[in-house]
Amino acid sequence: MNSMGRGFSRRDVRRMAHSSGKRNSAKRLEEEMTILEQVPPDLQSRLKDVLSQQEEIKVAISTDLQFDGTYGKDWVLVTEKRLIAFNRNGAPTPEVQNIPLEDVESIEIRELHGNNIMKVRTQAGAVEVARYSKRFAPKFAEATPEIESLIDKVKPEALDESKRHRKYVASGKKIRCETCGSPIPRRSDVCPNCVEKGKLIFRLLKYALPFWRVSAPAVLIMMVVRLVDLYPAVLSKQLIDDIFVPATQAITNGQQPEPGAFGQLVLIVLLMVGVNVFTMVASAIRGYMMAWVGQNITLKLRNDAYQHLSVLSLDFYEQRDTGNLMSRITQDVGRLRDFISEGLQNIIGDSMALIYMCIIMFAINWQLALWALIPIPLLIFFTIFFGQKMHKVFHVLWKHYAGISTILASTIPGVRVVKAFTREKYEVGRFRNLTDLIFEGEMNAAKLWTVYHPIMRFIIFFGMIMIWLVGGRQILNDQLTIGGLTLFTNFMMRFFMPVQTLCRMNERFLRAATSAERVFEILDTPPSVADSKDAIDLPDIRGAVEFRDVVFSYDSEKNALNGINFTVKPGEMIGLVGHSGAGKSTLINLITRFYDPQHGEVFIDGHDTRDVKVSTLRKQIGVVLQDPFLFEGTVADNIGYGKPDATRKEIIAAAKAANAHDFIVKFPDGYDTKVGERGSRVSGGERQRISIARAILKNPRILILDEATSSVDTETESRIQEALGRLIQGRTVFAIAHRLSTLKHSNRLIILEEGKVDEIGTHEELIAKGGTYAGLCEKQMELSKIRAL
Amino acid sequence: MQQPIQIEDEIQFLDAKRVKIERNQSEELTVELPDGSTHAPVEPVRAFPLTHLTQYISLLDADQNEIGMIEDIKQLKKADRKVLEEELRKCYFMPKITKVHSLEGRFGVTHWEVDTSRGAAYFDLRSRFDIVSLEGGRVLIKDVDGNRYEIPNYHRLDANSVALLETQI
Ligand SMILES: Nc1ncnc2c1ncn2[C@@H]1O[C@H](COP(=O)(O)OP(=O)(O)OP(=O)(O)O)[C@@H](O)[C@H]1O
Ligand SMILES: [Mg+2]
Repeated sequence: MNSMGRGFSRRDVRRMAHSSGKRNSAKRLEEEMTILEQVPPDLQSRLKDVLSQQEEIKVAISTDLQFDGTYGKDWVLVTEKRLIAFNRNGAPTPEVQNIPLEDVESIEIRELHGNNIMKVRTQAGAVEVARYSKRFAPKFAEATPEIESLIDKVKPEALDESKRHRKYVASGKKIRCETCGSPIPRRSDVCPNCVEKGKLIFRLLKYALPFWRVSAPAVLIMMVVRLVDLYPAVLSKQLIDDIFVPATQAITNGQQPEPGAFGQLVLIVLLMVGVNVFTMVASAIRGYMMAWVGQNITLKLRNDAYQHLSVLSLDFYEQRDTGNLMSRITQDVGRLRDFISEGLQNIIGDSMALIYMCIIMFAINWQLALWALIPIPLLIFFTIFFGQKMHKVFHVLWKHYAGISTILASTIPGVRVVKAFTREKYEVGRFRNLTDLIFEGEMNAAKLWTVYHPIMRFIIFFGMIMIWLVGGRQILNDQLTIGGLTLFTNFMMRFFMPVQTLCRMNERFLRAATSAERVFEILDTPPSVADSKDAIDLPDIRGAVEFRDVVFSYDSEKNALNGINFTVKPGEMIGLVGHSGAGKSTLINLITRFYDPQHGEVFIDGHDTRDVKVSTLRKQIGVVLQDPFLFEGTVADNIGYGKPDATRKEIIAAAKAANAHDFIVKFPDGYDTKVGERGSRVSGGERQRISIARAILKNPRILILDEATSSVDTETESRIQEALGRLIQGRTVFAIAHRLSTLKHSNRLIILEEGKVDEIGTHEELIAKGGTYAGLCEKQMELSKIRAL
Repeated sequence: MQQPIQIEDEIQFLDAKRVKIERNQSEELTVELPDGSTHAPVEPVRAFPLTHLTQYISLLDADQNEIGMIEDIKQLKKADRKVLEEELRKCYFMPKITKVHSLEGRFGVTHWEVDTSRGAAYFDLRSRFDIVSLEGGRVLIKDVDGNRYEIPNYHRLDANSVALLETQI
């Protein structure tokens, strides 16, 4: 390790980062993340006064904040005997706190907003020893149990067990990329450094590559067309120089024009017609070919993106809004197609056209050609200048358009809430604000365009003047023919378009790159819950479930599950009880492997869920989610969703079991009733029963019912239970319910409390125990008595 | 006919003048309520940590139960107010960004090097969704580790910082 890296101030840190960029920050973090860092020399000399002879530093951790609330490095050092804190607190020499480990009663970590504080409690009270930002939270979490074990050595079993910190295990997600070492942002598994294998554009071209048999000839046709396109201009030069000028000369001299002149004229005109017909036909064919290529690319890209989207885990969706994802699949993919099929080809074609023109001009008269090129830098400058302005305007516009789709994506499905709270005006207002902004943005764009075009025309005009002037003089000096001059003026007009396109090339690439980035972000994000390479097919299960020390957090800030342990035998019915937010739904999300725990394991029939293929696992689990979601389609479609080959008979049987059959047949369209988007056309309780039927139809070994009957009346519920009672024979069932009567058939109950198992046992055991569950039961009994009155 | 109760009556703010907020020797907040009960350690929580920094402060006891709410810090006695503000500053660390030096991004992941009101800092963001721009040019940023940063009004920053920021917001 380099010693220079130790004593530097924040400013040095920053400067270093400036010079060598991102990788350095990765390295910097790595050095700072061990719990035995190298202590800087100035502190070491001060340590000499404090430490005894053989005392060895066991833990040395630096902070990135000081107690005065500024960034800076303080230190906590722990030996076998004592804990030493160096706190600079703005002063040049740090203050030293020396706390013998013997005195320590507990180590506390205060988790605050944007920073944490480590406190050490002794008999005399608690002292704060370190303040650090969330970036260092993992390091301190790792160091704390280490310090506690040092305390254990000094005074065994003195620490309060309940206040002890559990051994820190880095969360399941990778923090740093294995190949390049740069930090992987916490919510992703993609290393931004490595994902950029090959530039985006090249990756994009890969999508075009399979169609090279069509696109290569198309490019070729274009190159020919662009060349042939210039031929009429050359022909008209010939027409003037070889026919008209000699003829007029002859006439002024009082002679007859040459006899073959008219024949030549006809020939040239016919050639012109032929060239035009050719370019027309060739362009049409090329256009069709490229449209075919473009649509094929769209097809592939769009399907790939959607296919991958469906593979991605829930956490990906939770962090992005629907409108945004939708626009990636629809708009961005379209933009990419335009770029590959048109943009890129135009760039090639236009460069070719420019090159052809230059060659012809230089061949005819290189001096005049040089003059003619003078306005080109001006053209380039202004196009780029306006391009940059445009880019800004368009960026803002794009954001507003995205805002519109976000509003639509949330208010159209949420229309009931909007209406119930009479917020139509507000939503319309929000929408209108955005459209106003879009209007403004579009007008800004228009303003730029209206200035841009006249300026461009003026520059072209300027070029023409040059040609008239310089070329005219050359004609007078007999260095240029009249036909040559017409050709130059003709080309001058033609320069305008290609130069413009090429200058915008940068912008085009940029825009395509942004779209590509957005599409490839989807394609490159590996699902956080993915089959491991050696994942096996889960064999037909019997339904044993075991949680071993499971810790899970949605956001790495707060643990939703905190050390869950239990075993469920095949065929058991387990009732999950706990306050709202206790972690019940989270627990079952881990059984179905919607998420993976950060720590600990979930076993099904002795298989770690992470070692088996997700699809073979989920196939054997039937779930009724807390807010059942139905798809647009008929009742039968929805019940059969999990088993596409289900017969009508099976569907009806499942509906019967879920006590849904009776109300379904009363619908005028019976099982063919459309449920509407999200099932909005059936009632809440009906929706629940349809989704119970959907889960049962899969004939799963493990059935999960998350508040599956919360929206039905007690009578219906007991009828569902009756039917279920027969069905759940031989199945492992997890049932979550707040209404405890729902769980009366459960073999055992698990009471969750703030992410921990509070109690576990049969109804009778728990009542006898007189704990949380007994309390809950009593309350509900009282309630039902009141109701009964 | 009975009038429905006013919904505001549901919260009862503490009588700020009769609350006593101190710090004990363990550097913890102790709060004595008007009813004479004392609580320690107490954690102050802002109900609106992004918009109303000095109003609606909820006081939580060690079990995270609310012991009361203070409507406005200004109502407190001077000494109490000082202690509470100090504790809030500790509990909410959100430096204000004063200058953006560099900002490199790929795939929406950005690495920032900035100056803040609390000194120079660097951080990484996972996506543009971690940047929230509010009215009046206010920008809130949450980095991958969960640290937060604020720009009170980005238009007031230097031209270079604004140019860098505008690529992101
Ligand atoms: N997708 C999510 N992202 C972040 N936090 C979440 C998410 N889902 C749940 N949580 C949080 O995790 C905790 C446990 O939630 P969970 O849904 O497991 O509760 P529950 O026991 O099912 O409650 P309820 O009885 O209300 O359904 C809660 O604090 C909740 O806020
Ligand atoms: Mg739930």
